[in-house]
Amino acid sequence: MTNKINRRAFLRNTLATSAGIILLPTIIPASAIGKNGHVAANDRIVMGFIGVGSQGTGNMKGFLRNPEVQVVSVCDVDKENRDRATGIVGAAYDNKDCSEHKDFREFLAKEKLDTVGIALPDHWHGIIYSAAANAGLDVYAEKPLCRTIDDGKEIVKAVEKNNIIWQTGSQQRSGSEFFRAVQLVRNGIIGDVNYVEVGLPNGGKDILAPASAPIPEGLDWDMWLGPAPKVPFQGVYHWNWRWIMDYSGGQLTDWAGHHIDIALWGTDLEHTGPVEIEGKGYYPRKGIYNTPIEYDIMNTFANGLKMRIANNRKLKHGGGATFYGTEGWINVDRGRLIASDEKLLSAEIPENGYKPYRSRNHHVNFTDCVKSREETIVPAQTGLRAISVALLGEIAMLTERKIKWDPEKMEIIGDDKASRLLKRPYRKPWKI
Amino acid sequence: MKQKNILQFIAIAVFSIVLFSSCNSTKEKIINVENARIKALIVNGQMNKSHDDKQSSPILEKILELTGEFNVEIATTPPQGSDMSNFKPQFSNYDVVILDYVGDDWPEETKTNFVNYVQDGGGVVVFHAADNAFPDWKEYNEIIGLGGWKGRNEKNGPYVYWENGEIVRNDTIGRGGKHGKQTPVLIETRNPDHPIMKGLPTAWIHAKDELYGDLRGPANNIDILATGFSNPETNGTGKNEPALFTIKYGKGRTFHTVLGHVNGKGPHVAVECAGFITTFQRGVEWAATGKVTLPVPAEFPNAASWILWKNFQPLSLEDLVEAIKDYNLDDSREHISALSLRIRNSDQKPETLEMYEKVMIEIIESNATNDAKNLICRELSIWGSELSVPALEKLKSNKDCGEMADYALQRIQG
Repeated sequence: MTNKINRRAFLRNTLATSAGIILLPTIIPASAIGKNGHVAANDRIVMGFIGVGSQGTGNMKGFLRNPEVQVVSVCDVDKENRDRATGIVGAAYDNKDCSEHKDFREFLAKEKLDTVGIALPDHWHGIIYSAAANAGLDVYAEKPLCRTIDDGKEIVKAVEKNNIIWQTGSQQRSGSEFFRAVQLVRNGIIGDVNYVEVGLPNGGKDILAPASAPIPEGLDWDMWLGPAPKVPFQGVYHWNWRWIMDYSGGQLTDWAGHHIDIALWGTDLEHTGPVEIEGKGYYPRKGIYNTPIEYDIMNTFANGLKMRIANNRKLKHGGGATFYGTEGWINVDRGRLIASDEKLLSAEIPENGYKPYRSRNHHVNFTDCVKSREETIVPAQTGLRAISVALLGEIAMLTERKIKWDPEKMEIIGDDKASRLLKRPYRKPWKI
Repeated sequence: MKQKNILQFIAIAVFSIVLFSSCNSTKEKIINVENARIKALIVNGQMNKSHDDKQSSPILEKILELTGEFNVEIATTPPQGSDMSNFKPQFSNYDVVILDYVGDDWPEETKTNFVNYVQDGGGVVVFHAADNAFPDWKEYNEIIGLGGWKGRNEKNGPYVYWENGEIVRNDTIGRGGKHGKQTPVLIETRNPDHPIMKGLPTAWIHAKDELYGDLRGPANNIDILATGFSNPETNGTGKNEPALFTIKYGKGRTFHTVLGHVNGKGPHVAVECAGFITTFQRGVEWAATGKVTLPVPAEFPNAASWILWKNFQPLSLEDLVEAIKDYNLDDSREHISALSLRIRNSDQKPETLEMYEKVMIEIIESNATNDAKNLICRELSIWGSELSVPALEKLKSNKDCGEMADYALQRIQG
């Protein structure tokens, strides 16, 4: 065992045997701080990254700025991404120590890591998120948690079994406007909330089916597809995978981990789900993009609350989450917090009122929790609840049926055909 | 009294036969128009040189009669410059009058009859260039709401368009009527609760057309149902222009569609657009009766895809299946999408789903392309039952389809 693993074990054991005592200041003793003011190498959180495209690289850069983190390895099926990422790490540390892997299995087996950051097309989440958890690593994983609800259940199972720290990349929770909106709504400033609207972007194009194209040099296309159905390469992979249902549910699932997540947080429904879901979706018809470009979904929760999810343009207050209470409304979107009456926004919160989890930086919240062994602001279970709402909406739209859902068992009630869509069969030989 | 001129009737009959026989693989519905519940009259006979009512009117007639709800007659005026005094259609014999006419003034008696017909509750449909007609006939302009060209300017009323979520009436001095280059148009619903719009997507692409802009008129009692964006990049106005709207005049109802440019040699994609056809049919029904009972077709276009119906109606299931069988990787997927939509939007009764499942089994057992079979396997993974299992098991031995057959089987068999 390496020092790093020992340190992790130390962190866990220390906290487990001294419940309630805050040991944080002793974890990185002053003596371990280097003379330059940086955390000494042996005490840094050793981190690797799987998936270093645009989002993965963005996350990696965030963690590189944290002196408590040491990035040692990257993994990607595309050589271009690997080369770019190792170059960024090398420039940050002024060395060439960052290793690279094409296959996540080799990466997880060979690298001695504390934590891993993962940012992949959604169809890979089930397998790789579970594998990282089962390797005992703490995980910072991009939203949405999963492509299917079955995948999500497996991920949560692996997280719980291994007792790891998990942060879902729903970083709006660490934004002050969202914190404030939730603080106001949860403390009854707009009265009882019985209706919420969630406005998401359109997506929206229909590229005609491109002819099959040569696979770019350095890309392992079969590995990129992984568990998804084998198809010829038609030029769609980085970024634009999100418009193809084999890999993503489009804007609806892409944004579920943001605005739906905030809507659930603000209504105290983040540990449950709707009981009834209806929706209408419109899809591109001609080309290979096939995720909905117009959607309108109505969720009913057991407490009677209704949550509508639709394109921005269809809603009065546009994007973000709008909470409608008996005494006013509040809309929150990125960089925007508005209300039926501006005075509501400066309302005093009672001393003994509800205090939402406060995180000021999503990446730092993760590393803080890696050290403290406390729960992050968006653990896997919460990530699953947010994406489940979108995935159930997707099923309601694809079947044009009213879906009845048991949020405790996480099962569709009385509809065999809709229930099939809770999973996407994996291509052989992949399995979780 | 029937105003339908015999020659016109023969011309339409011939046109219809040509249409019917030019698509002999399409099973035409046999429609008994005599018993149809709504009587419609199309007025044509003169037109400006940019449009051709001799082509458009029979198309409109066919579009309406395909629903089985309309009995359509055409009243054709004498040619431009000839004696109009005998042009006296009995508007009151019809539930709705469809205007496909730009030309000489009608006789005073006919004009009065028309206005009285609308006052008394008659329906009017303004089709595309008909809003160019009669710039100086006050009541006509009130009935159509907005018009363009032929010297229209601020004296005819404000410019009317949509901006920041509401209707704008702009009295600026200037000529009425402008259009850019023909281009596909994004249509956006502004009154989703109106019977004509109910159940349609709130945005959809209309196939290449000449979108009118800068229309002017009294626009009294106007209800803008949908606008089209007049793209400045193709020399449009840069505004969201009224594309579908209604006017109340007396007890009458007007449905005005600025869409539907028809001229020259075909194909006339503006009127083959499933969105034009559907909104026209629904709009005519609403103008005639105040209600809309015609269903929204499963294959209505949306904000990503425009959809053309070559014979002014969706393909028969039989033709759809044949089109799917020929699918190759880089072809449009609209046919398989259409099948998928028809299943999803059907009544989903067991017998309906079984019918569709049998259709899909037939495809994977046929000489269809492997690309087509793979797409059908995806549909069967959702809608298939034990009935599909033998065909899918057999398909597993096809090296290009085996994985997708297995995919479907995994979902069907759990």
